Amino acid sequence: MHIDDKLISRLELLTRLRLRGSERERLRADLEKMLSMVDKLSELDLSEVMPLTHITDVWNNWRADEVCGQLSREEALRNAPDTDGIFFRVPKVIQSKSKST
Amino acid sequence: MARQGQWELIIGLEVHVQLNTRSKAFCGDATTFGAPPNTQTSPVSLGHPGTLPRLNEAQVRAAVKLGLALGSTIAVRTAFDRKNYFYTDLPKGYQITQDAVPICGGGVLPIKLGDQWKEVGIHHIHMEEDAGKSIHDQDPEHSLIDLNRTGVPLLEVVTEPELHSADEVDAFMSAMRQLVRYLGISDGNMEQGSLRCDVNISVRPKGSTTYGTRCEVKNLNSMRHARRAIAYEASRQIALLESGQPVGRYTLHFDAATGRTSPLRDKEAAHDYRYFPEPDLPPLALSASFIESVRAELPPLPKALYEWMRISCGLGDYEATLLSEQLDTALFFRALTQHTPHHHKAANLVINKVLPWCKAKGITLSDFPVPQTSLAELIELVVVGVISHTVAWQELFELLCEAPHQHPKDLAQAHDLVQQSDGDALKAIATEVLAAWPDKVVAYQKGKKGLIGFFMGQLMRRMRGKADPKRANQILRQLLENCQ
Repeated sequence: MHIDDKLISRLELLTRLRLRGSERERLRADLEKMLSMVDKLSELDLSEVMPLTHITDVWNNWRADEVCGQLSREEALRNAPDTDGIFFRVPKVIQSKSKST
Repeated sequence: MARQGQWELIIGLEVHVQLNTRSKAFCGDATTFGAPPNTQTSPVSLGHPGTLPRLNEAQVRAAVKLGLALGSTIAVRTAFDRKNYFYTDLPKGYQITQDAVPICGGGVLPIKLGDQWKEVGIHHIHMEEDAGKSIHDQDPEHSLIDLNRTGVPLLEVVTEPELHSADEVDAFMSAMRQLVRYLGISDGNMEQGSLRCDVNISVRPKGSTTYGTRCEVKNLNSMRHARRAIAYEASRQIALLESGQPVGRYTLHFDAATGRTSPLRDKEAAHDYRYFPEPDLPPLALSASFIESVRAELPPLPKALYEWMRISCGLGDYEATLLSEQLDTALFFRALTQHTPHHHKAANLVINKVLPWCKAKGITLSDFPVPQTSLAELIELVVVGVISHTVAWQELFELLCEAPHQHPKDLAQAHDLVQQSDGDALKAIATEVLAAWPDKVVAYQKGKKGLIGFFMGQLMRRMRGKADPKRANQILRQLLENCQ
């Protein structure tokens, strides 16, 4: 598969990374190698094989609904790049009033 | 002006149900609503490298419970996936959700429209986690992030596109709120965000069988906003189509201040969630015994209780709707009907006396002090005519609430509330009443028969409400006819 400049730009957007010219070139070469390996794998007929999503044989492993292991606010904010002591502070994201999932 | 009459509105919902578990979906942080910002987090919910999620059993139980209640098929093998997107209130950079195999598929939610039921198809239910909260209007330079909500367990219920008006959406959301409260899996409170919906709307010419291009209005947290958003979107899309322009496929934000929708992001360009299987959580295998243990916890469901009240108890729509609105009320009424065959009177007593009394005292129905056997006895006293309905409802009920372990009949006697149906005593009082109002007696005899009500009132007053109204009425009429 050919990795064009448009695709590199799209990946930059999705990963929020900014690449310099030489980095773009290197990444393009790397990605092409990776994808050609995937192409190689695709030569196998795997229509009868279930996709392997987990490599251990562990199932479920649920926990009971109990409160434990919380951090204090001070601890939670210790690694924050910016904070006002109460909230994590980030550059203004959108103009409108609120947004969440 | 758009001619809505020629267009059909097609609406599908994505309803987010925030579960009322004590801890989060994948770690032990508390989930208390309204806690001070950033006091309910841990390395897992903060997305620190090297941490691993571990699934809360209560989320699985809640999902299966809702699925069973909706008649969905429960997937015995299921797993989680990652949905990747970049946003400041999502510290990991991805949401743990279910994409390939959701835990429940299919099912229906019955909704009531007037006195008709409509079954709305459920496409699927999946488990996922909530994001944190971004506050954009408190600091001019920054957005402020509170991660208390990050990782709180959600169920997303996706409907088929089978709703056709804001009224139907309203009825669906009300039925969903009622159901999650019946099941005890969420407080269903829209104002606090425990129940939110994204609305997918498209329009098509009436009679058409293909769907128009849909727009998704995100994150409506009140029915009033949902109604306004639907009305606005419908006329916006119809106006576009009528002027020959296409509807673009957008994700929209509803602005409550202006009542308008505006594009949040261009769905085609920015949406690339790159779903893949979540490697940090083992897949799920739900055993038949697990599913049966959840089924055993299912309460009777709202529609079944409503129909039982209508059909078996003969109640009207108003009474049955009121009594089945909440599970504890419905079960209280059902228990009461075990002790009395007089279901109308029982319904009346619960609606007009028991519920208001509990509300005034600020207690729940489970703390109501009077045993159901005593309430049944009180009803019986009225039915056989020992005390009048008015005295029973107004006086004896209150006395009973004060002395919940006394027998209603003993209380009635002790407080001299027993109705007088002795003919001689009633006749003596009736004669007194007629003697006191000779001109009204003449008027009655000249044909003003409505005055019987006046005489009854006077008689009841003299007897402090304790006369058997049927007997008293009979005696008054006899006296009035005879002394002509």
